[in-house]
Amino acid sequence: MENENRKANLTPPPEDVLATYVVRAIAVRRTYHMGGEAVHALNGVDFTVHRGEYISIMGPSGSGKTTLFNMIGGLDKPSEGRVYIDEVDIAALNTVELAWLRCHKIGYIFQTFNLIPVATALDNVMLPMTFAGMQQAEAQDKAVDLLKKVGLGERILHKPLEMSGGQQQRVACARALANSPAILLADEPTANLDRHTGEQIIDLLKELNETEGVSVITATHDHKMLAVSDRIAWVRDGKIERFQDRGEIEIKEGSMQAR
Amino acid sequence: MDSNPQSKTGNGEFFEARQAKSEIDPLPVRKVVKIAWRAIRIRIWRSLLVVSGIILAIAFLTYILCSDGLARHVLDRGSQQLVQQLTKDGLLDVENAANQRVQTYWMVGLALLISFVGIVNAMLMSVTERFREIGTMKCLGALDGFVLKLFLFESVFEGAVGTTLGLLIGLLLGYLEGLSLYGGEAWRLLPAGEFGTMLAGCFAAGLVLTVLGALYPAHQAARMTPVMALRSEV
Repeated sequence: MENENRKANLTPPPEDVLATYVVRAIAVRRTYHMGGEAVHALNGVDFTVHRGEYISIMGPSGSGKTTLFNMIGGLDKPSEGRVYIDEVDIAALNTVELAWLRCHKIGYIFQTFNLIPVATALDNVMLPMTFAGMQQAEAQDKAVDLLKKVGLGERILHKPLEMSGGQQQRVACARALANSPAILLADEPTANLDRHTGEQIIDLLKELNETEGVSVITATHDHKMLAVSDRIAWVRDGKIERFQDRGEIEIKEGSMQAR
Repeated sequence: MDSNPQSKTGNGEFFEARQAKSEIDPLPVRKVVKIAWRAIRIRIWRSLLVVSGIILAIAFLTYILCSDGLARHVLDRGSQQLVQQLTKDGLLDVENAANQRVQTYWMVGLALLISFVGIVNAMLMSVTERFREIGTMKCLGALDGFVLKLFLFESVFEGAVGTTLGLLIGLLLGYLEGLSLYGGEAWRLLPAGEFGTMLAGCFAAGLVLTVLGALYPAHQAARMTPVMALRSEV
């Protein structure tokens, strides 16, 4: 474990930059060394997310999509280049500071929901608030409020064991908002849900994006996500192939026919 | 904080917090204890498996100490006719008692060692299975120290429960054996003070063993990275 007592030196950034960008990745490279070989997961990526934007990262497996996602989610540090989350250079942070960042700045939504199955929805949503040092009463009020926002006002004392996948993902969304983060980071949020429920979750994320003003960054294979995204980043071979704005997208469902 | 010009963009407090943060974990111990207790209740059967080794080893230890203590006191302070009767029946072998005792203590030591290895193994397995849970907690802001404390407190609970069960089983066995070998009066020969010390010693042994066994697995758990929450397997 790292020495958790080191403090890094940082000067606060100019305000106009702070107001515009919530994530900035500059010339980011990430190389893994496996058995003597170097695997270049990311080969020079430049990426920005504006405050309040809804952006989806798409790409095939092995394209570096997950690595990029981990970078901007504060889960990994770049080998080269810089990543700024809320204008904080994550490479300059030690473990304690990174944990603070994850607690306060980023809300995570997982493909596998990752809730505590035998704690109530309320307890699940209150957990990040506990880590943030919030008082019990205040945390409880806020958690109830959040659960109502995601449409689970009737189920605050239910346990994930007693809930459907869609409901669990809603609890996860409420939990992600617990400490009023700047970013919601959703890793394949609809992959474990059926089509209809997946659409509901996508709609919920869009709604939260609009009402709470939180930036949403998703890594996904789901084409239904395209329709609600402000921008899409297509990742291939460790680089961003292109960005697309919503207006530029045409969604066509393909079909296969026997010869 | 309102006077800070950057606070409206939400980042001012980050810099303030970093400057002010004196590395004090905002999480009070009793919260960790509560979360640890809940974690045990979730996996009650797995916890019992982890402590089954302790239960057996402490039961063995308690039983041996009981029956040994009883035998010694019967020998030292039992009525003459009781001792004669027992020696005649071959139940109290005065000459070989010392040898027997050394052998027995070796066995007990071995039992404790084996149960220690079992605890480390079972806990490591448990930590490995819970990779996603640990990763998620770190994503939510848990520090390494929190995870370490969590697993150590869990081991304290498991140690306490396991040791208590082991003590009860060992006492029961020792009592029954004492009853059948020496009759009811033998138990009155055992002084309460020594008995109490023996019980406390067994309890401490069980607890210490469990917590020591949990050190390495807890360290492994604390080292896990938040990215584990996204993995589909370890």
